[in-house]
Amino acid sequence: MLVVLSVAVMVVDARFTLLKPVRSQMSLVLMQSYWIADLPERLYQGVASQFGSRTELAADNEKLKTENLLLQGRLQKLAALTEQNVRLRELLNSSALVNEKVEVAELIGMDPNPFTHRIIINKGERDGVVLGQPVLDARGLMGQVVELMPYTSRVLLLTDTTHSIPVQVNRNGLRAIASGTGNPERLELRHVADTADIKEGDLLVSSGLGQRFPAGYPVATVKEVIHDSGQPFAIVRAVPTAALNRSRYLLLVFSDGRSPEERAADAAQQQESLEHPSADPAVVPSATLPATTPAAATAAKPAATSPAKPATTRAAPAPAATPAATPAAAPTKTPATKAVAKPPAKPAATKTPATAPETPRQREE
Amino acid sequence: MARHAPARNGWVVWLTFAIGLLLSVSPLPQFMEIFRPLWLALLLAFWALALPHKIGMVTAWMLGLAEDVLYGTLLGQNALILTLITFLVLSLQQRLRMFPMWQQCLVILVIFGLAQLVQLWLSALTGNRQPTLALVLPALVSALLWPWVSYGLRGLRLRLKIN
Repeated sequence: MLVVLSVAVMVVDARFTLLKPVRSQMSLVLMQSYWIADLPERLYQGVASQFGSRTELAADNEKLKTENLLLQGRLQKLAALTEQNVRLRELLNSSALVNEKVEVAELIGMDPNPFTHRIIINKGERDGVVLGQPVLDARGLMGQVVELMPYTSRVLLLTDTTHSIPVQVNRNGLRAIASGTGNPERLELRHVADTADIKEGDLLVSSGLGQRFPAGYPVATVKEVIHDSGQPFAIVRAVPTAALNRSRYLLLVFSDGRSPEERAADAAQQQESLEHPSADPAVVPSATLPATTPAAATAAKPAATSPAKPATTRAAPAPAATPAATPAAAPTKTPATKAVAKPPAKPAATKTPATAPETPRQREE
Repeated sequence: MARHAPARNGWVVWLTFAIGLLLSVSPLPQFMEIFRPLWLALLLAFWALALPHKIGMVTAWMLGLAEDVLYGTLLGQNALILTLITFLVLSLQQRLRMFPMWQQCLVILVIFGLAQLVQLWLSALTGNRQPTLALVLPALVSALLWPWVSYGLRGLRLRLKIN
């Protein structure tokens, strides 16, 4: 009879939201056990910080100060770059990126099931966490919230076998989907064409296309690309940039208040406005870019990450888009550097994916 | 811990279950995660053998629900598993109590292995199927732990006259 009851409960839990309050009430009490199980670690850290010697603390402080200085310096540049990005986007008639708000959360437990990669954090529904919210650590995306409890929530990590995230190569905007493999140090890019321009060391950033993760956060770096002639697609393995199994402090990203639909509409509009200038590629880049600061060389990065959506070297069926997009990114660089490449040659070079690697190499100088 | 009359000290049973819940979520090194023993199942098996009039399938079901909430699985999944384990233990109870320890271990191994297989089916139904045979390892580890758990709890039970 209990068997029947548990089956019934399982079905109800799987299909309806009826049991959600029950679960949330139970978790209120039961989730304390994660906290208690985590207590020794916490105590150890507390004791260690109590007895940390003065010299150590001073050294630590020194290190943090330098790091802070470096970050501040970078931040100054970032302010200018953000401004510039906004201006460029205004010129392109597209919506500006809104700064996302973040909140710090702490990891309190790992999922005991070794075959899933989930963690438990100490922020929950009452802290304003929502389902599907992206979670970062200091180095990159970690995952998303999959279960809410009053004061805790469960986060599915990128490397779980059931998780996939839309990404793009930071270098050239090539889009792909990174799926988890169940190995905490590995993601795999599915269905990447053998001729796609992707190579070892490429940074993969979130593309924001799934409308769940914000665009532009680092996800992984490509570790190896295997071209096996027996396989229909290239095998691309990547290592997550976030310390998925080591980070203790995480950042919850609160994106702007727009609903997914509004965001989709905005994205579509943006896409449209990006595609318009691509009709005649000669006009837009040459008109907008020299007008802005000459420091456009450094701007190449943020400019490349966000509007690079049409830059699909992979989407061979739409060849019109490819030559258009690459010059858009390329001239940002070329006027400032010593004119590394001859811009007119480029649209010709990008027509076939096979020759595409040439452009990125020049851009990396 | 005074020696009360019989039918006392029932809270110790619940204390062991609470500790079992803690152990089942306590952090372990990565490589040991797949060996994590089924603590709650072990405790349930022992108490069901020792106090069949107190600890039965309803207790198992409740504890299973608690475990479901902790693990974030479907409500009822672990409840079903633990109920099944308790049912098997209770139905073998008369024989199991007479068995020498190594034989008890074997029976526990079979019961827990069976339960893990059901677990595998259930998780396959809910969409996250695991790379199979590693799943039986917890059952094996639990069976190896059974003598220690059993002797330890028996000592505790005699000392506190839990009834």
